[in-house]
Order: sequence, then C-alpha cells, then structure tokens
Amino acid sequence: MAIVSSTTEPAFADAAFTNGYEFTQGTGYTLPEYPFVEPPDIRSGEVRRHAVVIVGGGITGLTLACSLAQLGVKAVLLDEDNTVGVKGAASRGICYTQKSLEIFDKLGIYERVARKGIQWSVGRTFAGQDEVYSFDLRQQSNFQLSTQPPFINIQQFYIEGFLVERIAELNRTTPEPVIDMRWRSRVTGFVQHDGFATLTVETPAGSYRLQADHVIDASGSHTPFHAWCGATLKAKKGDDRWCIADVRFSKHPPVERHTWIEAPFNDNRSVWQHLMADDVWRIDYQMAPNSDPAEVSSEARVRERLRRQFGDDLQCEIVWVGPYAYRSQCTERLRIGSVYFMGDTAKIVNPFGARGGNTGVSDADNLAWKLAAVIRGTAAPALLDSYHDERHEAATQNVLVTNRTARFLRPADGVERVFRQAAIGLARQHLFARSLINTGRMAVANTYTHSRICGPTGGQSVQNVAFAWGNGAGTGTVNDLLKWAQSRLLVLVFGYLSPSSVERLRQLAETAPVRCVQVLGPDEPAQAKEHVRDPKGHLQGACHVFGHAWALLRHDGYLAATGEVVDGDLVQAIEKSLGL
Amino acid sequence: MKTHPNFTDADAFYEQLLDAHANLDREASELLNARLILLLANQIGDGKVLAECLSAASQLN
Repeated sequence: MAIVSSTTEPAFADAAFTNGYEFTQGTGYTLPEYPFVEPPDIRSGEVRRHAVVIVGGGITGLTLACSLAQLGVKAVLLDEDNTVGVKGAASRGICYTQKSLEIFDKLGIYERVARKGIQWSVGRTFAGQDEVYSFDLRQQSNFQLSTQPPFINIQQFYIEGFLVERIAELNRTTPEPVIDMRWRSRVTGFVQHDGFATLTVETPAGSYRLQADHVIDASGSHTPFHAWCGATLKAKKGDDRWCIADVRFSKHPPVERHTWIEAPFNDNRSVWQHLMADDVWRIDYQMAPNSDPAEVSSEARVRERLRRQFGDDLQCEIVWVGPYAYRSQCTERLRIGSVYFMGDTAKIVNPFGARGGNTGVSDADNLAWKLAAVIRGTAAPALLDSYHDERHEAATQNVLVTNRTARFLRPADGVERVFRQAAIGLARQHLFARSLINTGRMAVANTYTHSRICGPTGGQSVQNVAFAWGNGAGTGTVNDLLKWAQSRLLVLVFGYLSPSSVERLRQLAETAPVRCVQVLGPDEPAQAKEHVRDPKGHLQGACHVFGHAWALLRHDGYLAATGEVVDGDLVQAIEKSLGL
Repeated sequence: MKTHPNFTDADAFYEQLLDAHANLDREASELLNARLILLLANQIGDGKVLAECLSAASQLN
C-alpha cells in the first residue's frame, strides 16, 4: 500500500475563467454545479479499461456522450470543470443550425431548445444606413422540408445543460448508468499502446489512470492532445478584435440577424446583433485591430457603445461581456492512433456563419453510430477511418468559407480595403454586387464527396421530414426511423415492391444490420408490413431520389447511397457503408 | 479566356476608360478601377475564364 503524503500532493486547480474582466460572473444566471464523485480507481489503484473515454464535457463531448447513451454504448466522460459554460454565463455559440436542431431532436432535447430559444430565418446586412444584403432561409429549398426550423438562437450553456440532464435521464433507464460522468477530472497524461491508450487523470481526491480503446478528444482549443499525439495543424491568426455584450434592454428590434459591415455607431466597424433566450440580446462589436481586451470591455466603454447604437433613453442590464480574438485552424489528421479529434480540437473556425459549435455537434453525430457499430461487431474497424474522410472534408470547407468572411470583415490595409469599399458601393446600387457582401455564409450540413463509405449518390444529409405512419397512427419523422434503427442502417424503398424484392429485403433484414421501410404515396397498396406514407413526396425529395428507388441512410441522417432496383447494388452499398 | 481582339471599337473604349479617370485623384482612381473590375467580372461570370484572366494579368513583367 502506497503512503500518500498530503504535503506533496498539489491541490486540484479549479478551472479558471480565462479572462478576469468585470462581467464574467454572468448577471442573472446561476450555473449548475455537478457533484464530484471520487472514483474507486483512486483508492484501489486498479487501471480499468473502457471502450470509449470522452475528454471534455462541452457541447461536442456532451453531444457524443448523449448519442452513445441513446445507442446503448457505455462511455466515461471526463471534464475538468463541474459546470456548463467555460467563462461563466457566456453566450458563446448561439446560432444552432437546422442540422444541429435535428440532431438535438434525435437526442431528445429539441423541445426544450425550441421552448427556450428564439427562431429566426431573416438576416439583413447594413452599410451605414443602407441595407446591402438580405436573405430569408425559409425560401431556400435545403431548409424547407425539415420539421426543425432553419435556426434557433440560444445561449450555449443551455444546450450543454439540457444535454447533461438528458444523459442523466438516460442513465436512469438502465440498471447501470451508461455514461459515467466524471466532473473535476483533468487529463494530465497520455500514453499510446498497441490498440489502446492510458490516460492519467487528476482530481481533487488524487490522481489515477484508466485505459481506453477509443479516446475522444473534445477538450477544446487548448487541448494537450495535439502535442501528445504529434498532430500537425494548419493555422491562421489575424489582428481582428471583437467584443461581445450580452444585454437585456428596453428596446425591441425585429427578431432577425442584423449585421453591419460599417456601423456609424461603432466607428464604421462591424456589428452583429442577435436575440437569444430570456430576452437577452447578443451584440458583437468589432474593435480596432490588436485592441487591448481589458480596455475595450470596461463597463464605461460597453455602455457608451450601447448608447450610441440604441439612443440616450436606453435602459439596459449588462449580463456578460467578453472581448475576443479568433483564429482558424485545421488538424490534418482527425484520427491518430486511439485518439479522435472533434469539435475545436478538429478545427477552429472564425466565428462568422455559425460553423463552430454546430460542426462539433455534427462531428459527434458522425462518430457515435460508427463507434456503436464497431463495438457491437456489426461493422469493420475500418469504418472508424471514414470519420476523418468525412469530417476533415467538412472542416476544410468550413475553414475555407469562414476565412473568406474574415478577410472581408478585416481586409488587409491597402487594396483589400479598396475592393471592399468598391463592393459595398456597388451593392448599394446594383443587385449583382450583393453576392459579394460577405458577413458570413450560414452553415449547412456539409456534403461528403470523397468518403470511403459513401456511394456516388451518397454523402448528403437528409432533412428530418415528416410522413404518415402506415398504420394510420399519426405522423412520424425521419428521426423516429433512425432511432428505431439505432446503429443499424435504414433502407427506404420507394414505390411498388415485387414479391422477389420483398423476399430479398426480408432476408437482408435478417442477415445484415439494416432495418427496411417501404415509402408509398397516399393510395398505393403496401407490400411490406413496415411502411409509411409520403403524400407530398417530401421524404422522397429529401432523399434526392425519384420514382422507384431505394435510399440507404446512416444513423446520422446522411445518405450512404441510393439506387433503383433492390439487387446486388444494395447489398454492396450496405457493405461499403459499414467499412466492409 | 478569349485572346483574339473582341472590342467593337477598341480606341473608343480606351478613350472612355482614360476619360473616366480624368479629374480623379489617386485614391478615387483606385476605387473606380476596383468597381470596374467587379462589374466586368460579373459580366464574364465563368470562374474558369476569370481565373485565366487573373493569371494573365498577374504576369506583370
């Protein structure tokens, strides 16, 4: 038995607020505190092995944990803090895309998000007093079919809190908790072995080690795993500086996303304005390059800015203020040995267009079913390498798009400013130039064009459309089918099925990890017991197929492949999408 | 990218272009050029052609 000297053990360092400015405590919010439970590993000294260990309980790690819980896959989640919200009640990522909302619906927190958050679809961009760009996402076809709206704004700590509570709820449905949530647990060491890794974890009660077959690094932008794994990155940082103010006030602007490229009330710099939950407005002000964070976030400066924007008669309550700089960064390999990078550890994007938190959520949704299938033995381990194929392509695309926006918002001095000035002037006068005004291209579910597990017509996300249950028991959604299929694949067959096709599908469902559903028009007779009706053709449209066809869907709502006839092509598509 | 002469009247256009800059200081001229580039680029539209034009323009020597 080891003798522990209490004089040499360093005290566990609580997670610090990473800035120490006036408003980090968050007026009007009391963040939850989750209990620290001393794991038996510390006293026993046993080094236990787990299939999945998730490092980091932010939005990405929690989405993964919740997805695994729902798929019945056990995991340990380690978070160095004991609450949600890294810097107090900071709003952080607030715009949740339709795809993220569909994922939250699948996980069982969408109703809470919709009740608490604010829906919007109209965005307007101003230069001076003139509107130079606008959009309404409801007009765009890739948003129209889903049962979730184009966007909901809500503070990031709400999403995280809802996920924690949902995981706790799922933990109560099984004899033993499926997700072991370990708060105030900081990973301080990592060793890669052959096919598994050992992590050293520091807690207030002492240190211990555990082993994992799969280590998911969701620990955010200060991750130690890049150094530990020798990850290579491409990074880009500029001198652009912003300051966020979360405020409640007496005015009522329209519930739209408003952006100014040049705001007269902010020294002709950019301003973003969004409504969030609890009547709190989120306003981002662009500051002069290389601004001093403490100076720009002082109460006096913040109130002066708000007064200039909203008038002298403004009454306002400042909830939170946070100055920030940003960078973009892409990790070159998203899997190194036993470690998978997701969220900010996979890529960091400039904050324009809602491509940060949302891509972390999608990263998690992408890997969850793959882990489940491999751990269960229904897919080959090679399936896990498709995570890099797919999410690295998405990361690269998102970094590219947001870098272009950042360049428009903080043009290099000299000719880049001239071109921006030209674009803004032309946009005031001519319709065509509006397409050059770049204050953020709103995130969409990325398409995978070179995934090893998608066929040529696969790789697109299927919107969470509604349909009618075949037995007349009301409406269902794609998410209902995906949850029913769990980590199995979902085969949707559209139109009439010949007896031989029915037989082939029946055999397939017995021998392969798939669930099959026939999709019919309002009056067509059904050949399969499991069938649904798609009277408006929305489900068919969302699957990008026409007429007689089949669509093979993965649990993350992405098309693996499509085809016309239920034959060997379908079998091959199934094998391919499982990494076989 | 077209490389054969395509102007309906090259001399007339050349004169119009220079005249458009008359009485403009350096800064205003730069802005005019930038606006004109964006306007003309939209006329062309095709990404491949635009890339070829940019490449040809970039060969400064």
